[in-house]
Amino acid sequence: MDERRRHRILMVSDFFYPNFGGVENHIYYLSQCLLKLGHKVVVMTHAYGKRSGVRYMTGGLKVYYVPWRPFIMQNTLPTFYLTLPIIRNIIVRERITVVHGHQAFSTLCHEALMHARTMGYKVVFTDHSLYGFADVGSIHMNKVLQFTLADVDQAICVSHTSKENTVLRSGILPEKVFVIPNAVDTAMFTPAPNRLSCDEIVIVVISRLVYRKGADLLVEVIPEVCRLFSNVRFIVGGDGPKRVRLEEMREKYSLQDRVDMLGAVPHAQVRSVLISGHIFLNSSLTEAFCIAILEAASCGLLTVSTRVGGVPEVLPDDMIVLAEPAPGDMVWAIRKAIFMLPSIDPHVMHLRMKSLYSWHDVAKRTEIVYDRALQSSEKNLLQRLPRYLKCGAWAGKLFCLVMIVNFLLVRLLELWQPVKSIEEVPDMPLVQHQEEEIEHDYDEAQKKS
Amino acid sequence: MMKGAADRISHRPKWKKVAYGGMQPGYNDNYSDESFLEAMVMNANVVKRDLFKVMQDSVSISQYLCIVALVISVWIHTLGSVIDETSLLKLDVGLLALGFSVLLLTTSQLSQQLLSRYLLNISFFISGLYILAPIYHTLTRSISSDSIYALTVSLLVVHLFLHDYSGSTIRPPGALNNPTLASNISLNASIVASVLVASRLPSRLHVFAIMFFSLQIFLFAPLIAFCIKKYSFRLHMWFSFALMIMTLSVVFQLHRMLFVLLLGLLVFVSVVCPYWLIRIQEYKFEINGPWDEAKLCFDITE
Repeated sequence: MDERRRHRILMVSDFFYPNFGGVENHIYYLSQCLLKLGHKVVVMTHAYGKRSGVRYMTGGLKVYYVPWRPFIMQNTLPTFYLTLPIIRNIIVRERITVVHGHQAFSTLCHEALMHARTMGYKVVFTDHSLYGFADVGSIHMNKVLQFTLADVDQAICVSHTSKENTVLRSGILPEKVFVIPNAVDTAMFTPAPNRLSCDEIVIVVISRLVYRKGADLLVEVIPEVCRLFSNVRFIVGGDGPKRVRLEEMREKYSLQDRVDMLGAVPHAQVRSVLISGHIFLNSSLTEAFCIAILEAASCGLLTVSTRVGGVPEVLPDDMIVLAEPAPGDMVWAIRKAIFMLPSIDPHVMHLRMKSLYSWHDVAKRTEIVYDRALQSSEKNLLQRLPRYLKCGAWAGKLFCLVMIVNFLLVRLLELWQPVKSIEEVPDMPLVQHQEEEIEHDYDEAQKKS
Repeated sequence: MMKGAADRISHRPKWKKVAYGGMQPGYNDNYSDESFLEAMVMNANVVKRDLFKVMQDSVSISQYLCIVALVISVWIHTLGSVIDETSLLKLDVGLLALGFSVLLLTTSQLSQQLLSRYLLNISFFISGLYILAPIYHTLTRSISSDSIYALTVSLLVVHLFLHDYSGSTIRPPGALNNPTLASNISLNASIVASVLVASRLPSRLHVFAIMFFSLQIFLFAPLIAFCIKKYSFRLHMWFSFALMIMTLSVVFQLHRMLFVLLLGLLVFVSVVCPYWLIRIQEYKFEINGPWDEAKLCFDITE
C-alpha cells in the first residue's frame, strides 16, 4: 500500500474496553479491520480504575488510557483546555493524520476534536445515538454537538434516521454526513448446531432493564403472551432499576417457571443465551441502530422489535417483525413471529447476516471517509471562526472565544515544548504482516536459489 | 451527452432507506435522498391559544396576589397597632368558619368521618400554635427589625415566585398528584415569613393570633380557591373580582405607592402577560420525527 493512502488514525472516546457497549464494540472492531487494511490505529480513552497508561490489544492495537478520572457515567470532567498537552503529545508522537471521535456525550472526544482542529489536523466524528429537541439535557448536548460539528471535516452516523437527527441537531450539511452502520462479528455469533424443537418456544430478551430500553413494555407484554400461548417461555437477561418491576410481574401472574431472570449477562455469554431461544424481543423506546438485533439475527433468531429510531433500517422485512411501542401491538407482533417460526432456518439466517453485515465492509467505507477528510482544504483560524459565529447569537461568540483561547494555548505550548522535542514512536509492524513478510522473503530466496 | 447521464441515473437501482447489505450500488454513503427528513413533523403538538382564555386563566394568579396583598395589609395594620388582638382573633374564627362552609358546600366527597378528622387536626394545630407562641415571640429578639422586614419581603417574593397557581399544595380530598418540590419550598417560605413578622409583635396573644391568621391563609386559601374554581368557574371569576376590588381599596387606604404598584402588577399579569404569550407563540418551533423517544401509552405505577 502506498504511503499516501496509509492513514494514521487516532480514535478518541470516553467509551472503550473494559467498559462494554455499542460504541466500545464499534471502535474495537473498526480499529481491528482498519489495522488489517494496513492503516495505523491508536485508541485514546480515559483511565479505567487501575488500567492507566499504554496497553496493546489484539493485532497490535495501541490504546492510551489517559490518566484522567471519569466523574459521571464514565465521562471525564469537561475542562476544555486541560487535556490539550496530553492530546497534543499523543498526536505528535504517533504522527497522526486523522483524529476520529466517537459518541456525542463523550467529553474527551469533543475536547480532542477541538484541539486537533486547532492544531490543523483533519477530524472525523461518529454519532452513535439519537437525541430529542425538547428537554434541557438535549438542548445542551445539541449545542455542544453544534460546536464540534461546526468545523468537523466529515461526520458519520450509524443509520439514516441518525443522520437526519444529527443534521437537524447541528445544522451540518447533509453531504458531509456519511451513513455507515454498525456490523456484527458473525464468526462469534453462530447459531446452535442442532435446530431447537418448536414444541416449546423460547423468547429471549437481553437488554439493560431501564426505562429507555422499554422494560415497562415487557411488564405488560410478557403476561399477556404467556396467557395466549401456553408453550411460550421467556428468558430475560440484563439488570437495572426496572428489574424489580419485572420480578413483581412474575410473582403477580405466578410465572416463575415460565420467565427466567438471568441478571446481567457478560458479553462473552450472550451467544449461549441467545441460542437457547427462538425469538429475540427488543422493546427499546429509542435506538439509533441496535447491535443486539444483529447479534440475535446472526445467531439465527427471529427478531420482534419496536419500530423506533433506526431499527426499521437494520434488517430486511422478512427477518424482523416490527411493532409500535404499545403492548397490544407488541403482543400481535409476537403472535405473528410465532406463526412465522416454522419457516425460519437459523443457519440460512446466519448466512444471510454474513452477507449483509461485516466489519471489513464498515472499515472500507470508513476509509473512504478518511480519504475525503484528507482532501478537504486547509483552513487557518480566521477562515474557521465564521463557522462558529453562525452557531448562534450568544453561543457563536462564546465558541469563537473558546477557539481563540485554544489557539493561543497551542502556540504557547509550542514555545514550551516544541514539536521537534517530542519523540516519535517507531511503527511496530503487525504480527501477521511480519509472518507474511517472512513468507514473502522465503519465497524470494527460493526463487533466487 | 445529457441523455446519457439521465439514462445512467435512471438505470441505477432505487435508493432504499436501509442500513444492511453494505454500500448501495450507485450511491455514496453521504448520499441524501429526496426522502431526507420526510418523516419530520413540525409543531405537531402546539396548542393554539386564545387571548381571552389565557386572560381568564391568569385570574387565578391575580387572585392569589390579592390574597397575599391582603395578608400583608393585615400584618402592617397589626404591627402599627391599628388592629388589636381580639379583633384579630375574631377575624381568625370568622375565616375558619367561612373556609369550612365553603369546603362543605363545594366538595361532594366530604364525609362525616373526614370532617371529624379535619376538626381534630385543626384543634391539634391550634393548641400546638398556642403552646409555641411564646417561642415565636422571642425568637428573633436579637435581630434588628430592618433585617427581619427585608428578609420577610424576600421570602414573600420567593413564595409568590414558586407558588403553584394551578393547583393547591395542600391536597384537596381525593386528589391524585403529589405537590411539587417548588410549591413546598414556596409554602415553607411563606410560613417562615409569618414567623418573622409574628416575632415583632408586642404580646403572646398577638403572636398567636397573627400566626393563626397567616397560616390559615397560606395553607388553606389556595385549597379554598381551588375548590371554588372546581365547583363553578363563574363563581370563581366573581369571587376573584370582588377580592381584587376589596384588596385595591384596602391597599389604597394603606399607601398610594403600594396601590399603584399592585394595580400595575395586576394589569401586567392579567393583560400584558397573556398578550405577550400569544405574541411569542409564533416563534414556537418544535421538531418531531422517528428519532424521538417513544412515549408509553399506559401509566407506569411503581
